[in-house]
Amino acid sequence: MKIGKRSFFVINFLLVIFAGLIALSVGPTKIDGFFSQLIQPGSNEILWQIRFPRVIAAVIVGAALGVAGLMAQGASNNALAEPSILGTASGAALGAVIAILLGLAQVGSIAAIVSGVIGALLATTLTLKIASLRGNLSSFALIIVGIAVSATLTALVGLASAIITQPDARSISFWNFGSLALITYENLAGVIATTFIGMLIAWKVAPNLDRLSLGDETAFHLGVNVTRTRLLALVALSLLAGGAVSTVGIIAFIGLAAPHIARFIYGPKHRLLVIESALIGSLILVIADTLARTLAAPNELSIGLLTSLLGAPILVALVSFRNNVWRVQ
Amino acid sequence: MITIDEITIVRDGREIIYGYSEQIPAGSITVITGPNGCGKSTLLAAIAGDIAPEKGTITIDGHHPILTPPRTLSKIRAMVKQNQFYSLGFSVREVIEMAGNADEILAVLALEHLADRAVTTLSAGEAQRVSIAQAIAQKAPVLILDEPFAAQDNENRKRIIDLLKKLAEGGVTVVVVAHSSEQELTWADKVIKQFL
Repeated sequence: MKIGKRSFFVINFLLVIFAGLIALSVGPTKIDGFFSQLIQPGSNEILWQIRFPRVIAAVIVGAALGVAGLMAQGASNNALAEPSILGTASGAALGAVIAILLGLAQVGSIAAIVSGVIGALLATTLTLKIASLRGNLSSFALIIVGIAVSATLTALVGLASAIITQPDARSISFWNFGSLALITYENLAGVIATTFIGMLIAWKVAPNLDRLSLGDETAFHLGVNVTRTRLLALVALSLLAGGAVSTVGIIAFIGLAAPHIARFIYGPKHRLLVIESALIGSLILVIADTLARTLAAPNELSIGLLTSLLGAPILVALVSFRNNVWRVQ
Repeated sequence: MITIDEITIVRDGREIIYGYSEQIPAGSITVITGPNGCGKSTLLAAIAGDIAPEKGTITIDGHHPILTPPRTLSKIRAMVKQNQFYSLGFSVREVIEMAGNADEILAVLALEHLADRAVTTLSAGEAQRVSIAQAIAQKAPVLILDEPFAAQDNENRKRIIDLLKKLAEGGVTVVVVAHSSEQELTWADKVIKQFL
């Protein structure tokens, strides 16, 4: 790592901390003596029972979605891949909704997360299998099939959520645009666990994703078990996206934007990108959530709208600059 | 020693190679020539373990490539593809280091000045030399190259041939597919012409 990159890493880390502190301090209720309350855990109910779990969730879910996008792009060797486009996110939502519908789980519970992860894995596998039916996995086939699978599963989520009796899981808006409003300490545990395991797998598989970027044949010539590597990356993707979506709904764009922004700053090495995509994903989601709950207070905006508004211009700016980070065949 | 015993290879329902046998001695340079579509690249892919023969067997020093785990196989043979496409902007050095040490081979293939350049910005000839450098850095006893001179000027062609000769003298078995006339192939120990 060059000094410049290390500086960016430190700046990025400090920005997440800074954005987190701002997020904790702002809201409809003013917190008197914010910093003194902050060093006394549990002293202020609004700070510690509502805002703190929500900001931690934004950090964890943002990191999970950022690395999920990295795994999606690395496994498919495709710059356009991300959980929402591959059907992973809608598969996770459908898995969680079915578990809730059957009375097996509640939003954010371990059972909903397990169902979400299974749904994510099945949907992603389905997209990749259909897209590669005619041989090589082309960008065109992957995106078209991904959109079709995603649209079908999203429609099924809409139908299934309409017949759910639990009020928090009934909202189609929750599943399609996401919300951190319902986060509690109890349902943070599950998404922390899936994110941690998903990141460990992502870290482990990262060097082989570097080789996979040279193409399946060359990666195989270099000693990579291509099928195993891709499967591990998809498991990591499903854990990360499945855990996040089944807890806070679908939040688009972070999975696409965070790895590209990280790649532009830090280059293509996947080990470095696991850390940086996580930090950038966290930063985008903490800022987006803070804006979502303060811009039109006391009403809350959909967080998906804010992540798109924040991520899209950054992404367009990055690809407009001359860069050699990702070339399309 | 590479032993090819009565292999038949079928691709897309078409018999590309039928009942072919050959022995490629260790520590030698063998060049395979022939017209387009006669199955040269298919034979290399089978030796590398990319595809399995329908019938017959291929062994590299007693190992069946198709039955050998990828990591073990990468210590037995290295392969240079005909066209290597680089999608991510790794530097030349980083790409070579995915296989092994880069310093020595960068100098031998005149790639030192490109060491920090992104591979996505290279010309076809430079990208091909990076691909060759990566395979050599793998330090496998068998080196398979599919048309390594296709995009090279005369100077770099000579540079690559000298390197292959040196590797063969050191005991590496080199198998090359090349479009060259017989007069140009004096550097080869064995020439297999239109092998069907």
